[in-house]
Amino acid sequence: MSTRPSRPVLGPPESYTFPTPQRMRVAGGEIIAVDLPGQSYASLRLVHPAGGVSERSDQVGVAKLTSEVLEDGIHGNSSLAPELEKHGAEWTSGVTWDSFVTGVDAPVGRLPDATSLFAEAVRTPALRPEDVQRRQEQLVERFWVDMSVPRTLAGRAVGPQLFTGRYATPLGGGPSGIQALTPEAVSQFHAAAIAGVAGTLIVVGDLSTIDVEAIGKAVFTGTSGSVQPRSVAPEPTPGPLPRVVVLDRPGAVQSALVLATQAPSRRDVDLPRAEGVSSVLGGMFGSRLNMELRERRGYTYGAHCRFDLRRDGGVLMANTEVDTPTTAESISVIFDEIERLRRDGVTEDELVAVRDSNTVGLPVQYSTSWAISSALVEMVVHDLPEDHVDRLRAGFEALTAEDLHTAAQELLRPDEAVVVVAGDAEALTDALTETGVGQVTVRQAETYWE
Amino acid sequence: MQALVSTNGATDSLRCYTLDNGLRLVTAPASTGQVAAVNLWYGVGSRHEVPGRTGFAHLFEHLMFQGSGSVAKGEHFEAIERLGGEMNASTSTDRTNYYETVPQHALDLALWLEADRLATLREGMTQEVLDNQRDVVKNERRQRYDNMPYGTALERILRLAYPEGHPYHHPTIGSMEDLDAADLNYVLSFHERHYGPDNLVLTVVSSLDPSDVHERVETYFGSIPRRSEVAAAPDATLDGPIGGPVRETVTEPCPAPRLYLGHRVGPYGSREFDVMHMAMAVLGEGQGSRLYRRLVVERELAMDTGGTDALVLPFRYTPSLALVTMMAREGVSGDQLEAAILEEIAQLAEGVDADELERARAVLERDHLQTLASPSGLADSLGSCAQLFDDPGAALTWPSRWADITPDEVAAAARRLLTDENRLILRFEPEAEDAEQ
Repeated sequence: MSTRPSRPVLGPPESYTFPTPQRMRVAGGEIIAVDLPGQSYASLRLVHPAGGVSERSDQVGVAKLTSEVLEDGIHGNSSLAPELEKHGAEWTSGVTWDSFVTGVDAPVGRLPDATSLFAEAVRTPALRPEDVQRRQEQLVERFWVDMSVPRTLAGRAVGPQLFTGRYATPLGGGPSGIQALTPEAVSQFHAAAIAGVAGTLIVVGDLSTIDVEAIGKAVFTGTSGSVQPRSVAPEPTPGPLPRVVVLDRPGAVQSALVLATQAPSRRDVDLPRAEGVSSVLGGMFGSRLNMELRERRGYTYGAHCRFDLRRDGGVLMANTEVDTPTTAESISVIFDEIERLRRDGVTEDELVAVRDSNTVGLPVQYSTSWAISSALVEMVVHDLPEDHVDRLRAGFEALTAEDLHTAAQELLRPDEAVVVVAGDAEALTDALTETGVGQVTVRQAETYWE
Repeated sequence: MQALVSTNGATDSLRCYTLDNGLRLVTAPASTGQVAAVNLWYGVGSRHEVPGRTGFAHLFEHLMFQGSGSVAKGEHFEAIERLGGEMNASTSTDRTNYYETVPQHALDLALWLEADRLATLREGMTQEVLDNQRDVVKNERRQRYDNMPYGTALERILRLAYPEGHPYHHPTIGSMEDLDAADLNYVLSFHERHYGPDNLVLTVVSSLDPSDVHERVETYFGSIPRRSEVAAAPDATLDGPIGGPVRETVTEPCPAPRLYLGHRVGPYGSREFDVMHMAMAVLGEGQGSRLYRRLVVERELAMDTGGTDALVLPFRYTPSLALVTMMAREGVSGDQLEAAILEEIAQLAEGVDADELERARAVLERDHLQTLASPSGLADSLGSCAQLFDDPGAALTWPSRWADITPDEVAAAARRLLTDENRLILRFEPEAEDAEQ
C-alpha cells in the first residue's frame, strides 16, 4: 500500500540511571529506600542471609518450612494473611540458596499498619507445633503434586545429577527430609537466623507520605547484629558425563527435557558475558534454540536457556517441552547449537541484541516497584555496589563479539552435561541411545526421590 | 474501614480519541518515566469461531508475529526484544490482545509494527508459516492441556456449562482436528473480517503529551481503511440455570482428587457479576476466605494453594462462570471434599458477615491496585474497559462498583445462583494404582 508510512528511524534513547537509594541505619538495622513518585502500591522486603546453604545437613528444608510457618503469625493458625488482607496488603516470603526474604506489599497509606503486622510475624511468631506439622504435611504433599508437572519433574531431578552435598537436594528439601523436620528445628533455625538478626530492609514506592524511619523502627527494634553467610564448596558432578536420565511417564505425548551443566558461582562470573551467551542460546524469543526448535521445526511451544547463579556455585540449564517423537532429535539440536556457538561465536546482530536489550531496555525492566525491590534484594544478597545496575549497563555496552565467543567456550561445556528427560521411556530409549550423547538410564518418576 | 481506593477524579488524566477509520485511542500518564506501554484490544475472540474452526482466533494471534507487508517473520519480536521491551499476546473468548512495553523513544516503532500487521498481514502470510505455527500451537496444547495433570479441566468445564453449538462451548486453544484443518484461505479471510481499525482499541500509557500520542497514532494508523463489512458475532445469549447438577468424572494419572464446581452468573459488567465476584472472594479468595479457613486450616481436607480457591471467569457476552476448585489432601476422598465444599457453598446462602465482606472488598481492591501498578497492567485495564464497555475510565473507578454491595445482597445472590440446578461438577480422580501409593 503506497500510503503506508515507512519504518521510523528512532532517535537516541534517553539515558537511564537506576534510582539512587536512600540508606539509613535505624535501631541497629539498615534501610535501603527508593522513592518512586506516583507508585501508590509499595513493596517492602527484609533480607536475611539464611538460605538453603545455611541449613544444617540434618535439617535440610528447614528454611523453607520456617518461611511457610511465619505465615501463621503471632497467634498461629494461619492468622497473618487474613489480617493483612484487611489492609489490602499481601505477605510474601521466599527462600533461595543464599537468602531468606520476607516482605509485604501494600497501598502506601496502609504500609505502616501492614509493617507492624509484618514485623511481629517475622520477629515473634507463634511457631506452634501443630502449625509446623500442618505446613510440613502440606509441603510433602505439594512436593508430589508439583512432581506431576513434567517440567518440574525434570527440573528438580537436575540437582542430584549435577551435585553431591546440599545442591543435590531441592531447595525446599526432599520429601523424606521435610518429613523428618521437627518443630524444635524450626524454632532453632528461626531463633538463630531470623528473630534477633536485623537483616536489611528494602522499601520501594511513593514514599512522600511515609515515615521510613518509623517503618525501620517497627522492623528493627529489639534486634541486633548479623550472621555471616555460610559457604559451601561446590563438588564435582558425580558419574560419567555426558549422560541421559529418563524419568518415565508412560504414554506422555510430550517430553520435558533439561540439559544442565555446572557453572561458576555468581561472584566468579562476568555477568554481561554469561548472560549474553545464555541470551543468544535461549534467553530471548529470537534466540537460537527457540528459533530452531519452535520457529523452524515446530517441535515445541518454546525453548529456553539461563544461568542459575548462586553465591558458591551455579548451573546452566537449557529446557524445553517437545512432541514425544521429536525428543531425541531435539536433544541433538540443542547439542549442535551449543557446539556451533562455541565454534563460531555470535553474529553482529546477536551482539547488538544482547547489548541493546540490556542497556536501552532498563526503563522497561525497572518500571515497577517489584522489579526495583527485586534488584535491591539481589544487591544485598550478593554484596553488590550501589551502582551495580549502572555498572552492569556499562559492562553490556562494552561487550564485543569476541567477549561472547570466549564466554561461550568457557561456559558452555556440553561434555559435562546431564540431560534429564521426563517422558515415555518405552517410546524414547532407543532413539536417545542412538543420539550418541552418552549412557541412557531409565528411572521411575515415583521412586526417584525415595 | 475506609476504602483503599479513592476513585474521585481518577479519570481526569485519561484522554480518548476516535480516528476517522473508527480506531479508538486511549492515553494515560505512566507513573514511571521513560516507558511507553502500547496495548491493543481487538474485538475478536474464540466466541467468533464456528464449529470445525475452533482454536482459530488463537492460532491467528500466533500468525500475527509471523511477518507482514514490511516486516519479516520474527522481526517483530526481534525489534522489540532488542529494545529490552516486553511483549506478548493472548486470546480469550471475547477478545485478542497484543501488547508491548518499550523505552519511550521507541513508541513510534511499536506503533509502526502494530499498524503494519493490521494493514498488511495478508501480504506476509504463507502456507509454510501457517504449517509451522499450527505445529507450535499443537505443542502449546500438549504442554498446557494434554500433558499436564488436570490440564483439560477448562475444556471440560466449558463443555458442561454451555450447550453444544454455543460460542462459549469450546476453549480458545481449539481441538487438534480443527487445528489440522486450518487453511490459508481461511486465515486471509479471518484477517479481513475481524482485523480492522474499527474493531480496535489502542491504549498508550506514557509520559508524552496526549495530543502528541494522538498525532503519532494518526500517522501510523490513520490511513488504514475500515473493514468493508463488520463481522457479525454469534448469538451467545443464554437464559436460565445450567440445568444441573451436571457432572463429569475423569479418571487419569494425577496426584490427588480435584474438584471444580461451576455456576452460571451474570455477564461481566453486570451488577450480578459484581455481587458474585464479592461472593466468590468471601468464599475462596485469600487466606481469610471461608474455604481456606474451614477446609484447608481447620478440617485439613484440601491442599493449600494460598487462598486461590474461587473466582469468576469473566465473560462479557454470555453468563460468566463462578468457579470453585480444590484438591484433596492425602487420605481425603473426592466424595468427602465435594461434600465439604457444597456445605460451605450452602452456608454462604445463609448469610455473610459485614466483616468478611469488608475483607473480601479489600482483597479485590488490592488486586485492582496491583494490576494498575505497572504501565502495562494499566494499559491493559484501560483497553479492556474501552473495548468491552466503551468506558475506559471504568478501569480506574471499578472499585466503586463494589462500594454499595451489602451482605444481604451477596447472600441473596448465593441463594439464587449457587444451586444444584445451576451447578456443574467436574471431578478428577487418580487412577487406582496411583491412589494406592
